[in-house]
Amino acid sequence: MKKIVALLKGMPSALLVIGAGFVMVAGSDLRAALGMGAAVLLSVLLSSAVMALLNKVIPAYAKLPAYLLVITGFVSLISMLMQAFFPVVVEMLGVHLAAMAVSMVAFRQSEEQVLSVKNALVTGLFFTVIMVLCALIREGLGSAAIWGQPITFLQDYKISTLAGAFGGYLVLAVVLALINKITGLNKEEVKEDN
Amino acid sequence: MKCLKTTVVLLLIVAVFSGAMFGLNLYTGPIVEANNAGAVFAPLLAVMPEGAAFGGDALIYSADNAAASSLKDVPASVVSVYKEANGLGYAISCTAESTYSTAPMEITIGVSADGKISGIQIESYNDTAGFDFRAKDPNYLSTYVGKDSALADVGIVAGSTFSSTAFKNAVTEAMGVLIANEMIAEGKKSDDQVLTELIPTVAPGYTKLVDATASGNIVKAMKAENDTGFAYVMTEGDASFLAVVNATGVCKIYDVTGAEVTDAHSALADEAKNAAKTAQKGYVDALTKKIEKMMEGAAEITALELDTFNTVAAAVSFKVGDAVYYGFNARSIGFHQMDIYVVIDANGAIAKLDAKQFIFEEEYFMAFGGMDTPAYKAGFVGLTGETFTGEQAMIATATMTSNAMKEAVADAFASFDSIVKGGEQ
Repeated sequence: MKKIVALLKGMPSALLVIGAGFVMVAGSDLRAALGMGAAVLLSVLLSSAVMALLNKVIPAYAKLPAYLLVITGFVSLISMLMQAFFPVVVEMLGVHLAAMAVSMVAFRQSEEQVLSVKNALVTGLFFTVIMVLCALIREGLGSAAIWGQPITFLQDYKISTLAGAFGGYLVLAVVLALINKITGLNKEEVKEDN
Repeated sequence: MKCLKTTVVLLLIVAVFSGAMFGLNLYTGPIVEANNAGAVFAPLLAVMPEGAAFGGDALIYSADNAAASSLKDVPASVVSVYKEANGLGYAISCTAESTYSTAPMEITIGVSADGKISGIQIESYNDTAGFDFRAKDPNYLSTYVGKDSALADVGIVAGSTFSSTAFKNAVTEAMGVLIANEMIAEGKKSDDQVLTELIPTVAPGYTKLVDATASGNIVKAMKAENDTGFAYVMTEGDASFLAVVNATGVCKIYDVTGAEVTDAHSALADEAKNAAKTAQKGYVDALTKKIEKMMEGAAEITALELDTFNTVAAAVSFKVGDAVYYGFNARSIGFHQMDIYVVIDANGAIAKLDAKQFIFEEEYFMAFGGMDTPAYKAGFVGLTGETFTGEQAMIATATMTSNAMKEAVADAFASFDSIVKGGEQ
């Protein structure tokens, strides 16, 4: 658990700022959440691997534009593949799939993070877990459905607010707060600040 | 040098990814194209027989580019027509909009090569939720499947008359396109169906028909729900006829061509009149009482027979002093059934107008700020058949009531004209 906490250090807070938009758009349907999560995981993983390979060739002042080019390239390739094989998910994600590239660059702040494949894997998996958790709650309780299939006994009890933007932020905040509590991440961050 | 090396590396990154995207596009491009085509054709395939397919040249008419199509006589309700690739039939996208619609329904109809409807579905319903006939009759759409252009036994949904009528008309128009362009054969209507479809033309006051008791030569009996009369499909030998009897007991007989043949079939007319007499609800007494209240000094109130088959259910003549007046009770349908009383003087001008109730369910009309009823009624006084345009009947935010008032007053004038031209009966 301590190793996991160490790896996840700083992520919940950053995710709240950068990833909240994606959770809004993709977090109300499990299919979109998994699609977005998979796209993020693949793009950061592949871009980290490529940057690690190119690390010694690219000087320090060119690493950011290089990373931007690489991750944009991978996001484009992944978008093309998703458009061919998962058009329904692409329709749900809309422009946010392409915008993901920019957010990932901002999210991976330090050089260590950019070059670390392990860090990329954890980032992607963590993002996917958050997306899936939010989607399960929002789709299940907000739309009374899972994977687009209606849940009959919940139809009369669905909380429509959860499926909207306000509900999305609420669910994300609650999920992240729970993760902070369970993993003790908030305590680690407070210790560091102090 | 270092700068040059960096630039080369960055350009190489761009080149590699560009090449990768180009290569991937060669593989995924056709898949995406097939997905897009599938998305367009998915609603069409849903209404076509099994095994149907649509190729790239399936679209044979589009309203956006009507001039490019060889199809003729395409009404505005038809948006596009597709031809199925294996000769199994056609799919048509069309719209339906009723008088009180806020937005049209989008419909997709599949018609097989033998001219029968293979499938029908509503793609989008953007109208007022209360008008949606699917909620009142979930099986309504299935009544169309298997029918040819005659749409035999396809009725209207009670409680959603306007929207279901608009839907049926849209389907008829869509199939009409295929018939006009000789793509399918026209369905043959039975005499029963032809005569029943004649009713709105010969008896426009019968706003909604419900089943009534049939007997003798009457094979199908229908009663106007607003009590303005009866319609009977009758047989005499091998021939079928339509008999319409209005609320005052006057009967007319029509044959399958729509020609009036009352004089030649007086026996049928007598049978129809007798059948209607026993079942017809009388409104003369109620009208008489109303006239006595509306017109002080009304005397010699005499019931009249009418030659019209509109919403007027009862008519009387009476005198106030030496002046002759005619009173009419029209039963048009607004938001609910209405009873409208119109008194017309001998010169054809409205002397007075009243109704049991003008506005129903006032709490429903959120924007309804209240109606100045005396001023509204006074607005009709003095109007004649020539000066009444219908605008005088308008009530803000109450479209259905306004239309009912317009119809009632117009029908009263028409009944007055029939009395004056034909003499009192």
